[in-house]
Parts: sequence; C-alpha cells; structure tokens
Amino acid sequence: MRLRKSLNDRLIGWKMAGGAKEAVANMLQRGGRNKMVVIGFSIVLLMVILALLAPILPIADPTPSELHPEDQTLPPHWWERFGYNVSKGDGHWFGTDELGRDVFSRVIWGARVSLMVATLAVFFSLIIGVLLGLTAGYFGGKVDYVIAGTIDLFWTFPAFLLALAFAAALGGSLTNVILAISISYWAGFARLMRGQALSVRERLFVEASRALGAKNIRIMFAHVLPNCLAPLIVWASIGVADAITIESSLSFLGVGTQPPTPSWGYMLYRGIPYLEEAPWVATFPGIVLLLTILGFNLLGDGLRDVLDPRMKGMRR
Amino acid sequence: MADLVSYVVRKLLLAIPVIFLATFIVFLMLYLTPGDPVTAIAPPHVTPEELDALREKYGFNDPFIVQYGRFLERLVGGDLGKSVARASLNTDVSYLLGQRLPKTLELMAIGLSISYGIGIPLGVFSALRQNTWKDRGVMVFTLVAYAMPSFWLGILLMMALAVYTNILPAEGTVGGFKSILLPALTLGLGNAALTTRMMRSSMLEVQRQDYITQLRSRGLPEREVIFKHALKNAMLPVITVIGLDIGWFVAGAVVVETVFSWPGIGMLVTSSISNHDFPTVQGCILVLAIFVVIGNLIADILYAFVDPRVRLG
Repeated sequence: MRLRKSLNDRLIGWKMAGGAKEAVANMLQRGGRNKMVVIGFSIVLLMVILALLAPILPIADPTPSELHPEDQTLPPHWWERFGYNVSKGDGHWFGTDELGRDVFSRVIWGARVSLMVATLAVFFSLIIGVLLGLTAGYFGGKVDYVIAGTIDLFWTFPAFLLALAFAAALGGSLTNVILAISISYWAGFARLMRGQALSVRERLFVEASRALGAKNIRIMFAHVLPNCLAPLIVWASIGVADAITIESSLSFLGVGTQPPTPSWGYMLYRGIPYLEEAPWVATFPGIVLLLTILGFNLLGDGLRDVLDPRMKGMRR
Repeated sequence: MADLVSYVVRKLLLAIPVIFLATFIVFLMLYLTPGDPVTAIAPPHVTPEELDALREKYGFNDPFIVQYGRFLERLVGGDLGKSVARASLNTDVSYLLGQRLPKTLELMAIGLSISYGIGIPLGVFSALRQNTWKDRGVMVFTLVAYAMPSFWLGILLMMALAVYTNILPAEGTVGGFKSILLPALTLGLGNAALTTRMMRSSMLEVQRQDYITQLRSRGLPEREVIFKHALKNAMLPVITVIGLDIGWFVAGAVVVETVFSWPGIGMLVTSSISNHDFPTVQGCILVLAIFVVIGNLIADILYAFVDPRVRLG
C-alpha cells in the first residue's frame, strides 16, 4: 500500500501533459484492487527479494569448490513421509543434486540469474523498441516506412528461434544470452510504441507545445513518451515472463547460461536422468520457474485488464 | 475473387524480405562465431602461409557482402553446404534436413490436432458457463498451461505417463505411434491454452450479437442456437490463426524434440549446436524460419478469405 502511494506521489510530481501521470497513477491504483495484479505482484516481489538477498541468506554455497560424493541426490529431509530414507540428509529443503549440491540454494541463486538476465534483456529491448517506435510513429512518412518495415520483419520472426541462432553463434554466456534476447524481443515494444506515438502525436497538447516552439526531441520525450507509459509497463511485465522462458529454454538446450552458474533451465536438463530415483532435482527448479513466469504473466495480464477492459482475455 | 488474388500476390511478395532476413541472420551467425573457420578445416601443423592460402581459396578474405552474395548464390542452387560433425561428416545438409523433416511435420500435425481438439471444446464449454467455477477452473488451467515452459511440461508428462506408470514410451521412436503421443501432447497443451482463451472470448462475443438473440426469441432450441449458429461464426477467428500457431510450434518443436529425443529438425539443431556443426545449424534455422513465413502466409490468406474487408485494406 505504502509503496503504491509513494509511487503515486512521485508520478504526480512529474511534469506531463495530456493526463499521462493520471493514466499511470490510475492504472496502479486500480491495479491494487485487481486480484490478478495482487497475486502476480506478490509472487514477483517474493522472487525479487529472494534473488536480491541470496548472498546474505543462510543457505549453502550453490557452487562449492569441493564436491562430496556421499551427498549426491539426497532427498529433501521432509520427504520421510513419502517413504524416502532421509537419514543421511542434514536439512536440505529441496534435497541435493547429482553432484551433491544443495538444490534450494541453487534455486535461489538461479532466481538471481534468471531475473537479472530477463530484466536486463527486457530493459535493452525496451530502449531499442521505444527509440525506434517513437521515431517511426512521431515522424511518419519515409522514416516510418523504413522503420516499420524493419519492425515487421523482426516481429514475424519467432523470438526464440532468433535468440537461439544468436546464442548458438555467440556462444553461451550471461552477456550473450542477454544480447540474444534483446535482439530478438525489441520488435514488440517498437510496434506498441509506434502505434501509441501515431495516435498521441495528433492530440491537442502536442500541437500546443509545438506552437509554443518546443523542439521535436522535447515533444517526443516529454509529451509523447510519458503518455505511452502505461501500456509499456504492461508489455514489460509480460516481456519479463517471456524472457525468463527464453532464457531457461536456452540454458536447457545448453546454449544459455553455462555451468556451474546455477540456472533453472540447466538444472531441469540435468534432472532428467534422475526423474525416477531423485525427482526433486528437476521438480523444485521447475515449480519455482513456473511460479515466477506465472507471477509476471498475472501481473501483466491484470494490469492490462485494468488499463483496457476491452482486451480482457485476448492475447496474441 | 480478383481482389483476393491480388491480396495473396501482395502477401507473397512481402514474404520475400522476411526470407532474406532469415538468410542474412543465418549467414551472420557463421560470421559471428568466434574462432577462425579456416583453422577448423585445416590439417594439423599447418604454416601461417598455408592458412592464408586456404583463406584465399575459400574466399574468407573477401568483403562481407561478397561472401554473403556467394552464400545466397549457393542457396538458390539448393546447396546448404556440408555437415562438419563427426558422425555425418561431408553429408549434404539438405540430405540431413530431408531425413528429419517428415518427423517434425508429423509431430506438428498431431500437436496441432491435440491443441485444437482440446482448445475448441474447452473454450466453448468455458464460454457457455461464463463466471461459474467451471469457467474459472478452465481459465486457471489456461494460465498455468500458458506459463509452463514446454520442456518442464514435457518432463512432468514424462514422469506421469512414462516413468511412473509406463503407459507411454519415454523417448525415441521405438514405440511406433505411441512414441509420438508424449511429445505431441507437450507441444499441443501449451497452444491449447491459447486456443481455449481465443475460443472462449470469440464465443462470448458472438453470443452477444443480435442475430443470436433473434434466433432465441424465435424459440430455437438452445442446442441448435449454440452448435448450428453461434459456434460456426465463433470458430472463424480461431481457425484463421492456425497459421500463427505454426510459429509457436516451430519454437516449441526445438525444445520438445530435445526432451523426448524425437529425431526431427529441432533435435538436429540442438545436437548440431553442441557439435559445432554450423552449416547444419544454419540449414535448420533457415528451414524453420521458412515454416514460420509459410505459417504467417496461411494465416493472412485464411483471414482475407473469411473477412473480405481485409483484402481491400
């Protein structure tokens, strides 16, 4: 509650024309009454806190330099009720993996990696998309023709395939995965931004500020952009969910984050041979992965319903 | 009809730049790959002069655009290069692709049938019971199925239907038709979530229209109103996006085939990536991209066929 209020206060402090601050503030305020937004936001917040606090939480080292063969695939200590022999386990909440590392700690550190990659990738896509979309939509004409054509080209191409091609070529590493997702994902933001810019530039306040002698750059960033903030927030939330899916899929295929850095996708991949004897190796990273993606999707879908109830249930 | 033909031609022409982009990305891939391609093919203990000669011979010293032009020239002739993986050394990439293509098509066809077989009835069911707990249950299913990454869904289904119960074979193709069910189900379920949502909202929209109210007021049995009149119209937007689903399936196939060791193009991509067999990776990505382009074309054409307003726009 307090967070939302302070955000509202800050938004009111912005100097924006055309009711942009009201639109965003209104979206956040009504979002607080939407069940999907509340559930989604809670999940996201929990994951972010866990990811941020990973280094100071009292959990095992996710990548110990010394491996203990006797610790391999120990069941979670509370799985006694499922008939597992837990005599050797010493407080592993999610058990240990095939190398004897604590799965709980790797899941938490994996959240750090996943969230960082996804947020940065969405951030860079957002910047590329906003710059190109804003330029195309605001100026129109030939500029728009060229940029819109490029946007459509990238939009047609499935982001995952493009990211796979780039990640395979560049080689797996955190930076390359972020780069690969950013290159593949920006078109969505650009389309959205262009559409918004096309409609906002016709509004009276844009004309008024032009009449007052404002330069194009100023109108674009001080007037047109803020009025597109609300849909951008929605798209960014859904984008983080998509980016987490792409990142984990890439690591699952072995071209994403490289071991020993903990990554949910790779943990699931390593868990496949142990599905029968040690199902916890794959199950826990999978549950947390699903929950995180679900959280961002719920947040995005909920905010979108709040923003534009007509779009309810539509997503293509 | 003439406007439909000109629309289709226009769309076909627009597909060309997308295919060009695909060839460019695929070429750029090899260009970006770290390491000198010549050292990979040169025999051991080769002198720097000999390396230079090799570079000259294979044209690696030429400017980027010349190399790209030569790449396109080869592509037009149907030459996708030769594999450099140990297991399939010097085999034509086009031959490898031809071997794998039917498997991927088979998987996608069954996956699509599952997706529509589940999505359409479920969407109608949900719409007819709008705002009841049954409707909410279906919506929760779609939310979860949509959020679930395909490899994780695949692992869960594998645990439930193969590892613990032995109903279906876990991987490979030895089980005959039974072996395709698990990968196809994995591929189909995620898309079924989208189909359900679309079907539901489309059905709700159609039910609000005047002609449905009019049919009801004339005393037509509800069953007839729904299945004879509303369903037909509500299904149109769902069917027209079948082409767009192909894009989803292409991305999904890469992951799902890897999970279940299904010997299609998707698995070929991942195994070639780990073998550093870049000519094969290039070929696979190109073929998958062409799939997507064809899918989008089908979507556009179906849409224009159904809704004449689109052709004129």
